[in-house]
Amino acid sequence: MIRINRELRELLVSVTVLILGFWIILTLTSGLVWDWNGWRVIEPQSYPPCEANMFLQFTCSTAWIGMVETIKIAILATFFGMILSLPMGLLSSRNLFPQYVTYPSRAVVSACRSLPSLIWAIIFVIIVGLGPTAGILAMTIYTVGYLGKMQYEAIEGMNSAPLEAANAMGLTKAEVSFWVVIPETANHLIAQMIFMFEYNVRSGTVIGIVGAGGIGYYINLYLKFLQYERVAAYLLIIFLVVLLIDLVSIYLRSFFTDESENTKPTWSGVFLPPKDDPPEVVNIRDRIDPVTGVKMGEDNQASNPQQS
Amino acid sequence: MTKHEKRNHVPKHVSEVVRIRNLEVGFQKQPLLSIESLIVNSGEVLAITGPSGIGKTSLLKTIAGLLTPLSGLVQVCEATSPQKPPRGTIGYIPQKLGLVRHSSVWANVMLGSRAGNTKSHSREQSNNAILAMGLEEKRNEPIKRLSGGQQRRVAIARTLAQRPKLILADEFLSELDEETSDRVVEAVMQYVSSSGAAMVLVEHDISRAREISDRLLVIDDGRLNPFITDTSIMEVRS
Repeated sequence: MIRINRELRELLVSVTVLILGFWIILTLTSGLVWDWNGWRVIEPQSYPPCEANMFLQFTCSTAWIGMVETIKIAILATFFGMILSLPMGLLSSRNLFPQYVTYPSRAVVSACRSLPSLIWAIIFVIIVGLGPTAGILAMTIYTVGYLGKMQYEAIEGMNSAPLEAANAMGLTKAEVSFWVVIPETANHLIAQMIFMFEYNVRSGTVIGIVGAGGIGYYINLYLKFLQYERVAAYLLIIFLVVLLIDLVSIYLRSFFTDESENTKPTWSGVFLPPKDDPPEVVNIRDRIDPVTGVKMGEDNQASNPQQS
Repeated sequence: MTKHEKRNHVPKHVSEVVRIRNLEVGFQKQPLLSIESLIVNSGEVLAITGPSGIGKTSLLKTIAGLLTPLSGLVQVCEATSPQKPPRGTIGYIPQKLGLVRHSSVWANVMLGSRAGNTKSHSREQSNNAILAMGLEEKRNEPIKRLSGGQQRRVAIARTLAQRPKLILADEFLSELDEETSDRVVEAVMQYVSSSGAAMVLVEHDISRAREISDRLLVIDDGRLNPFITDTSIMEVRS
């Protein structure tokens, strides 16, 4: 019999409850999920003809194409956002730069964050036209605002001693940033970047509705044609993909914490039980006293007969 | 023979490295420490002692240019505060060491070396400093995996690799065992005597401070006084 450890059991129960809950809500509200016609979104499109082999036919489906495009948009937006937000985060940190630098920099970061990515998507669709480019630009701007804030908060929270030593040495701001601040806060910066990717995948599904690419484009399309059963199928696919990315993200982030030195997880650790079974919990009454050689419970019972 | 006597030679050209006049150090306009006049010459090791919270670290930070004095003048290598002395002049070993925890020993030592040398010399200086501190086996280890004593040796190696004209050290021998402490003191004193650098150190252990310093000053009642006897320190502490 397969033994499942407690953590995995809890994870499986949580995921099952979530999926069932989502399914039940959809079923109660519209009965759409039971309409298997909606699942045609994972069948290959009739045009262009699918050249993939029999087992990979699903890669020609709108659900796959849309989801992959959304993930690509999220990857690029996170990458460009990280590149742009890091200098902004450094310039906004009050422990590195004077107020006349931090205030304008923070204003720019706040401005990027002030509008949700959906509104940025509308703006960029107007500027550069329909398609994923608008999505990438919109989410890059929002990433700068969001990630920039998280970064300068992490930098301001770092230990002041390395900065003091570096400043006393006479290192330039660029050297302090590159050789002291970034390595010292690297764990936070990487964890935040992974979180932002996860966030961008979620918001990437929405921006397609205004024509900025990704799976949202297909959702919008089928909404217009009143094919709600297909929309429901897309929503369920998004839910599962986001859940999967969340889990991988939690796992990846666990590598970048101070505790990871001692409790570094394995790749299989997120989904599978550990190879070595945990030691069985022995009831204190069954433990053997090393001095007397009798069971602790028996000893207690013998010494306190009234209790039993 | 004391460790101080082990120093090979005194630099030929003695010059002022630190000059302090009418200095008031404190926080929120409340003076903590007042110094009328203090000069530290090249090749000199000055030790400062006194009870906790009396302003020793604040004085070091003020000399390092990290704290703005309430009033008065601080001059390091002819650069008057708030003007900064040339790059790499000051090597500061904070009480908390100030190491980059996620970087390796080598990266941390190179940081000091970068501040003080041209690129061609920096690798050699770093290697020498790591050897002097006996850290050659830990060279690629991240700081967070080292013990407290090893981390302290890395901080000292970083300062030695920098080759500063002024070393400011805050309790730099704490957490070190007797043998390692001797080795560290010997390396630092060797550097001070050969380079003509000055050193200002804060030390709680009076016997050790007397052993390694040329001058020992005590902070008493917000002022710097020359050390007289151990009894006087006990009185100050009580």
